[in-house]
Amino acid sequence: MTGPQPVVLGELPSLSKLYVNAATTAARRRVLGTSAGRKLPAVSHEVRNVRADVGNLTAYQHLVGETASDILPAGYVHALAFPVSMSIMNRDDFPLPLLGMIHLKNHVEQRVPIQFTEALDIRSWSANLAGHRAGTQLDVVAEVRSASSGDLLWRGISTYLAKGVFLPGIDKPGNPNGATGAGDFSPPDPTALWQLGLDTGRNYATVSGDFNPIHLSVLSAKALGLRGSIAHGMYLASRALADVGAVKAESFTWDVAFEAPVFLPARVALDIATVHSGAGSWERSDYVAWNPRSGRRHFTGRVSAVI
Amino acid sequence: MAAADVSTGATREPTPSPLRSAVIVGGNRIPFARTGGAYVKSSNQDMLTAALDGLIARFGLQDERIGEVAAGAVLKHSRDFNLTREAVLGSALSPETPAYDLQQACATGLETVIGLSNKIKLGQIDSAIAGGVDSASDAPIAVSEGLREILLDLNRAKTAVQKLKIIGRIRPKDLAPDAPNTGEPRTGLSMGEHQALTTAQWKIAREAQDELAYNSHRNLAAAYERGFFDDLITPYRGLSRDSNLRADTTLEKLASLKPVFGKSLGSEATMTAGNSTPLTDGASTVLLATEEWADAHGLPKLATVLDGEAAAVDFVHGKDGLLMAPVFAVPRMLARHGLTFEDIDFFEIHEAFAGTVLSTLAAWEDEEFGRTRLGLDGALGKVDRAKLNVNGSSLAAGHPFAATGGRIVASLAKMLHEKGAVDGRPARGLISVCAAGGQGVVALLEAA
Repeated sequence: MTGPQPVVLGELPSLSKLYVNAATTAARRRVLGTSAGRKLPAVSHEVRNVRADVGNLTAYQHLVGETASDILPAGYVHALAFPVSMSIMNRDDFPLPLLGMIHLKNHVEQRVPIQFTEALDIRSWSANLAGHRAGTQLDVVAEVRSASSGDLLWRGISTYLAKGVFLPGIDKPGNPNGATGAGDFSPPDPTALWQLGLDTGRNYATVSGDFNPIHLSVLSAKALGLRGSIAHGMYLASRALADVGAVKAESFTWDVAFEAPVFLPARVALDIATVHSGAGSWERSDYVAWNPRSGRRHFTGRVSAVI
Repeated sequence: MAAADVSTGATREPTPSPLRSAVIVGGNRIPFARTGGAYVKSSNQDMLTAALDGLIARFGLQDERIGEVAAGAVLKHSRDFNLTREAVLGSALSPETPAYDLQQACATGLETVIGLSNKIKLGQIDSAIAGGVDSASDAPIAVSEGLREILLDLNRAKTAVQKLKIIGRIRPKDLAPDAPNTGEPRTGLSMGEHQALTTAQWKIAREAQDELAYNSHRNLAAAYERGFFDDLITPYRGLSRDSNLRADTTLEKLASLKPVFGKSLGSEATMTAGNSTPLTDGASTVLLATEEWADAHGLPKLATVLDGEAAAVDFVHGKDGLLMAPVFAVPRMLARHGLTFEDIDFFEIHEAFAGTVLSTLAAWEDEEFGRTRLGLDGALGKVDRAKLNVNGSSLAAGHPFAATGGRIVASLAKMLHEKGAVDGRPARGLISVCAAGGQGVVALLEAA
């Protein structure tokens, strides 16, 4: 699958401009009472020959606890592709409001290690508009290919929820789809404890370019209806991926499902369980993170060898 | 009980283990970068891990539990107290590989090779990785001594009033940071100034220094051209060659540079940026093992680590030059093996400054110095220049302090392996590394 017909953008869109545009679109729709419709845009956006900036890469690696190697961390590739995905959600014909969207889960296939010098073609589109008990959800797919060979190197599917938005003609599911309630969770002994300062969101925004106001400050988060600023989901997942460490294979899949948001500042307890095959080779690492005081689960996930 | 043991043949006596050989399997380093260049944001841990991961990939050491890893850095953040262990944990080695840090100024890298070789020879471990790393770009900066004391007092204060009083002690001068430098604590002279004194003492001419620097660049460039470093280096951060290398430099260009050290001496200043090593960032690693371990893993045996020797000089009041300790270590080590310079096929004398190498050679050639200071019948001997730093050294490659030992050991081991036998005996190589504090470490390798 390579998505619908691509529109090639000249360069990576500026995330800050996209957020400003999203805010004005939201205001316009509210004033005029217009909506963009109920269908996802039938196009994909593509940016060609993207290269990582080495200074930015090193800052990202240090922030999430990776060693500054020449291989792009899977979470960095997500950050690199994010402006292209955002530009899809920022289109006038995109049916859901971009601001206030909640990141539910993420699935990444890191097929081949990517050297930081490699030129990359990044394509993104949206799919699978569906009802959710709390609103409407959709997938944003991103594919990263080698610009020289065209080989697929990395693929990510981000699932977002527009809370409280119900589009006509899209039914919400009868049951919360099998998710275990937070009450069922009894925390294991942690293998790590993270201390996240108030500046966690701003620091990740600086390296990832994701200046979503809900992550930047208490005030900007309150403006969007939250009681305080929250950590970026991809920051948390990327730190967990870094914690999994060098045990993982060169090719792997990486999953994360987000539950209770991490309000900053925070202490986050983490447990990583490594599973080896009978032959002793690494099979997967499962992780779960929770609030050590309340026991509420923040996210769960898994890094698995590609079989 | 003891008497019974003796009478029954002392079966509880530990079996003495005969000394084994420690072989050099190979090495890996990242290219050395001039400070503020390609590795400007990379930490010591990043670079050491990069060098380590290249070594692991080259020799198939993924998930391998190595006997022990030792490395170090000269410019080291206090948070990096477990630098080597952290690099191991970030690498593809088994996390059950132990590691320790070592620090002996510029001799750090060579000393890790000697110490780990000794453990292998003694039968304590079967495999080891030695290494070193340094970043002059990402150097630690400390707060001033005044501010440090105030902050520690503040940490101990109990009440808000106490804390306010302590904060009130801060003066603007306390806010000036304390950056590391290459000055000797006891003399206040920089390493370059110290060497300038030695260079003048041994009457080393400017032209001779420039020629040594020129040869270093020419030899290193030629080694790259014929692919000598293909299995000794892995690229990092876009660099695949040492960024200090000037393949096109000329004696005229070197002669045009203005002196930077020794300008306040009575005699003519001769040391320039061209014949002194620049500040550099980089890391190196060397894989050591017993012969059995190398064979069992199907890995090459390039050379054996025969011996090592450390020396120190009384430089503080000028009895000897700061960087002259190897002058004393080499004759002691050679005597132990009954060897002379005639028995050595490669001389690797670390080029801290061209003046250091030339002063060292001059001292060894001096009859009186040999008699009065080295306790010999005359001069120790003359080093055949055709055997000296034949693939370039620190003047061209750069000198990330603790990484230099690993660079030299891996390159020399490969050279000895290529040379094989000389007159029916294994090829031999001598390494000499000078270090701050008036110290020096030397080592003797032999083709395996």
